Amino acid sequence: MQTPGTYISAVGHVGLIGWLLLGWGMQSQPLPMEVMDVSIMSGEEFEQMMAARTPDPGDAPPTAPVQPVIEETPAPPVAETPPEPAPPPEPVAPPVVETPPPPAPEIPPADVTDAAPVAPVPPAEPVPAPDLPPSDDPTQAPANRIASTPTAPPPPDAEVSDIAREAVVPDDTAPAEVAVPEQEATAPEQTATEIVIADERPRGAVETSIRPVARPARPAPPAPEQETTTADPTPDPAPTPAPVPDTSDAVADALAAAVASSSAPAVQAGPPMTGAEQESFRLAVNSCWNVDPGSMASLVTVAVGFELNRDGTVVNNEVRLLSSSGDQSAINIAFDAARRAILRCQRGGYQLPADKYDQWREVVITFDPSGMRSR
Amino acid sequence: MKRLLTLLIALMLAGPALAQGGPLRLTITDGVIEPITFAVPTFEAENPQAGQLASDLTRLVAQNLSGTGLFREVPANAFISQVNSFVQPVAFADWRAVNAQALVVGAVSVNGDQVNVKFRLFDIFSGQELGSGLQFAGTTAGWRRMGHKVSDAVYSRITGEGGYFDSRVVFVAESGPKDNRLKRLAIMDYDGANVQFLTDSSNIVLAPRFSPRGDQVLYTSFESGFPRINLLDVANVGRRQIATAPGEMSFSPRFSRDGRQVIYSLSNGGTTDIYRTDLDTGQHVRLTATPSIDTAPSLSPDGSQIVFESDRSGTQQLYIMSSSGGDARRISFGEGRYSTPVWSPRGDLVAFTKQNAGRFHIGVMRTDGSEERLLTSSFLDEGPTWSPNGRVIMFTRETQGADGASALYSVDISGRNLRAVPIQSAASDASWGPLQP
Repeated sequence: MQTPGTYISAVGHVGLIGWLLLGWGMQSQPLPMEVMDVSIMSGEEFEQMMAARTPDPGDAPPTAPVQPVIEETPAPPVAETPPEPAPPPEPVAPPVVETPPPPAPEIPPADVTDAAPVAPVPPAEPVPAPDLPPSDDPTQAPANRIASTPTAPPPPDAEVSDIAREAVVPDDTAPAEVAVPEQEATAPEQTATEIVIADERPRGAVETSIRPVARPARPAPPAPEQETTTADPTPDPAPTPAPVPDTSDAVADALAAAVASSSAPAVQAGPPMTGAEQESFRLAVNSCWNVDPGSMASLVTVAVGFELNRDGTVVNNEVRLLSSSGDQSAINIAFDAARRAILRCQRGGYQLPADKYDQWREVVITFDPSGMRSR
Repeated sequence: MKRLLTLLIALMLAGPALAQGGPLRLTITDGVIEPITFAVPTFEAENPQAGQLASDLTRLVAQNLSGTGLFREVPANAFISQVNSFVQPVAFADWRAVNAQALVVGAVSVNGDQVNVKFRLFDIFSGQELGSGLQFAGTTAGWRRMGHKVSDAVYSRITGEGGYFDSRVVFVAESGPKDNRLKRLAIMDYDGANVQFLTDSSNIVLAPRFSPRGDQVLYTSFESGFPRINLLDVANVGRRQIATAPGEMSFSPRFSRDGRQVIYSLSNGGTTDIYRTDLDTGQHVRLTATPSIDTAPSLSPDGSQIVFESDRSGTQQLYIMSSSGGDARRISFGEGRYSTPVWSPRGDLVAFTKQNAGRFHIGVMRTDGSEERLLTSSFLDEGPTWSPNGRVIMFTRETQGADGASALYSVDISGRNLRAVPIQSAASDASWGPLQP
């Protein structure tokens, strides 16, 4: 019995088989392929070929049997040294990024007004911009006093409190029980080192950060007096005694310059590197400074300078000889040893505190081997 | 007063600013003392005949450098990149990774018995070539000298001092038992290779001394029954006796810096004094006149002074006087007895033999007697001689007992790298010659 379904199935199958056989809509063309000829060559042929391709076969004169030394090596192929130009991708411009706190300029309008009732401080200047690039001023950034990254463990005498104490508020509800006498001069872990640093800072830094507005007011030489007056709200009729005849301009200028110079770098420079940080840097270079105590170079002291990238690597691997004394060939060798030490030990970059980059961006190291000669 | 106060305030205010400005400044006084690492891949053989020679030369250069104690070779199996061509660019990063501080690349070609060797030297950590490439040409028979030349150039470029590999040493070769020892003069490369005899063993010979140019040798011979000074020409082994001032014995000779005069000791009537004889004119000059034994004179590099030993104070000590004679000043004041002083080619040090508390030492001191340092200590060390660059001292060490034998040793002036010079026979009384041209 043949049902309609059978017919439909038969027709469908026949159609499908026919379509497959005819291949309508399918590509029968072979895919395009690229064919390359491969030839086999010996190792010698390969070397010859490579030698021929090297830029400058300066070894032409081997036939010349002349005894004297012949200067013949062409440097070019060596100079290219492909592998290493990569490393210094200096983050030149964006240093702003890492100084976390918002720059000083914002502070003036709000803070000054409500913090101090100083009335007539000229608020007009919205221009803190010209003298300082706001970002790299760590002293104005209170947040910098608390280490943003886990720092070295606190000094041994300061015990880290393992309990977070919030009990400063006198809570009367609880009876005066145990009163936990663990009360020591403990501090949260992050602040320990930075507080020490803050103490080393020049005092002026703190004041100027509170009142950034006051500083724009000193455009010219008379600045010092004005600043003193603005600092004191007490209306002093004769704030600038200005003893007319004898305080010569030179002295006033010197004072003004001193005040200006003392305030400006204090704003620009970050917290100074601690002794421990400098020592660890020194030790890092130490371990690669190879001294030959029997050489003439061990009689020479050299000072070298270089710049560091933010990752602690030497900029362009460039080390400059700054000063030296003694025999020139000995100086050259002493300088080579110093340069080798700095470049060898940088490896992936010297480990230096990133937030103090301005302090170690430029480095001058004096290599003094006098103590090594007697070994 | 007020002005002063104002300035003071200004300085106080400026103080912190001055302290903060400028670069970070550090002073390093304490480094490390370790050999400089170097890699020397087998030199490229530029033609098939050069294959073996390229390998031998490479090994010789590596041995020379390592033998100084100032360098340490990075073994070939540690190399990351291979150097197959002399002009191939250097992959500094690969060499840095194996901690090679210097890289020597070379190539050798042989044409008949002519050999060409060329090399380049790279400072790996600064990524620069040290100096320009150099090429030496010579014969296959003299291939060792070419290896020494390459070594000298590499050494000199890295250390800033002259090398000493292409130099020779004249010494007394010894054979036979201690109570009947046969001695004859011999010459060798600095490393103990190419030993050649200059005299036979029919007469006792002592204390040979090279001329400044290395073409002649002064020595003391007992040919006449008494010690007399002879002059030997190295090239043809011809020799003659020097006409010294009249006396019973003449010995301990040394050339002046220009090679035209000889200073020596002359023994007469129980005293021994120092004399100078001009080889051209035969004129003699007596330089000391004391009732003591003055001997072992050695001239300063500029020829203006003489260091010598004398027992005028009761024990053997070192003295310095003008090369024209006159008053002498004592420079050794330590315990024990000092002898055989030799002025360094650099001019800053005097090497000597010291005997104290039953031990012998080789030591050095400054020419004013300060900074005395003893470099060795043994049953018997004596007779120091300087390498041409003033960096190494070779001396005689004799072992104890009836079977004791003499051998030559060398030591760096820092007191490091003490090693025996590999010679087949017993040897003593070395004199290190100059660098060969």
